[in-house]
Amino acid sequence: MTTCHVQASATIELYFYGELAPSERSGVERHLTACAECRRALEELTMIRSALELRPDVDAPPGGDWSRFMARLQDALESDAGASTARTTAGVSAFLSGRLAAVVAMAAVLALVTISVLAVLRGRGPATSTPAVPDRSAAAVSAPSVASAGPDAAASDAALTQFSGQHFERSKLVVLGLATKDPSTSSGADWDYERTLATSLLSDTRLYRLAAEERGMKTLAGVMRDLELVLLQTSMSEAPDAESLAQLQRLIRRRDLLTKMEVVATTGLVP
Amino acid sequence: MVDSDLITRAAGGDPTAFQALVERHRSMVYRVAFQFAGNHHDAEDIAQEVFIKVYRSLDRFRQDAQLTSWLYRIVMNACIDHRRRHSPAGSAPFGEEAEHKLLNTPEERPGPEASAYAGELGDVLQSEIARLPQGQRIVFVMRHHQGLKLCEIAEALGLAEGTVKRQLHAAVHRLRQALTHANVTAGGRA
Repeated sequence: MTTCHVQASATIELYFYGELAPSERSGVERHLTACAECRRALEELTMIRSALELRPDVDAPPGGDWSRFMARLQDALESDAGASTARTTAGVSAFLSGRLAAVVAMAAVLALVTISVLAVLRGRGPATSTPAVPDRSAAAVSAPSVASAGPDAAASDAALTQFSGQHFERSKLVVLGLATKDPSTSSGADWDYERTLATSLLSDTRLYRLAAEERGMKTLAGVMRDLELVLLQTSMSEAPDAESLAQLQRLIRRRDLLTKMEVVATTGLVP
Repeated sequence: MVDSDLITRAAGGDPTAFQALVERHRSMVYRVAFQFAGNHHDAEDIAQEVFIKVYRSLDRFRQDAQLTSWLYRIVMNACIDHRRRHSPAGSAPFGEEAEHKLLNTPEERPGPEASAYAGELGDVLQSEIARLPQGQRIVFVMRHHQGLKLCEIAEALGLAEGTVKRQLHAAVHRLRQALTHANVTAGGRA
């Protein structure tokens, strides 16, 4: 229990961090000669600093390798830049609107598929009955070391693909929801559900992507990366307006995400 | 080329200027994010979010402002947003009460005793830093690790300097308690 008013007022910390004016410093130094409690506080602050200084200074990804970080950032920025291009290029806009009808039609079919699969999954038990619940155990089980090889590796690759397919089914609720909304009539509240669900799915998507990368399953990792980008941008949408929604729809179309997810989810094959 | 020139060029659509800006500041951003998050996985996510937000806000940067202050604010907001999205409160509307709770609720992580068992004082402290309420952790990281003055932290976070001082005091108090719990005091290991 602190009994010294100097210490209780945070003056020792301010002294330690050099935040006091010279005259105040002199006053504290005089006080320190007479107050054992404040001296101990100062010594412990010094101990804290010394101990923390011995810890490694982490200012880069593992191995100092920024390449993956920069590539991921580049992907995110490209989608922003792509949106700008689409806004200013009439030809591209026309192409995109032409594609929209096809996407909406496909989305309607996929919605039926999703509903059917979810109905089946619900029938299997609680572990797969809640689409929005992250499936960490599945990711952990299906991501053994890359060093494994032979039949075991093939089996766990297949398991990862299967779990990924189930994850895509869950994620389609977000992607389909976004793809089928009309930006001109939808308000921000209309896609609150997709934003919340995207946030809850993001961590698992990252786990699956990392597992696929670790196992050298580049195509699956690529689809997961595209999905991760869409989920990240959805969850980060600070102003859920028509333009944000349209931008996300362009991203989904440009990456052909629905088709890729559908192939994995329904056939178990990685496109 | 100075930061403000890079920002101007990046805002004008020059991708190499933005890349130069990222390469110049990514270590600082990553360091703060790692100190805050305590692992690479979350640090990378936070750093990504920071540069995406910077990119989207290039045209809103005031040329007379300090880039580092602006960047710190974005980093700290990204840290808070990241924690918010990964906490149970993340799915609820984020009102004043939730904000207060988020900033002042200790993290659910292993306590200092467990780390002390491993015998490393640095580990004990790092563990306790990770358990600090968010507001205290942010202020401690900015003051202790980044060496920012209290007035600079206050400006970057948009808080009153007195608030920053209280958060720092509380953080230091908890770290000193962690030393005591780990049986390490100024007089040596007890």
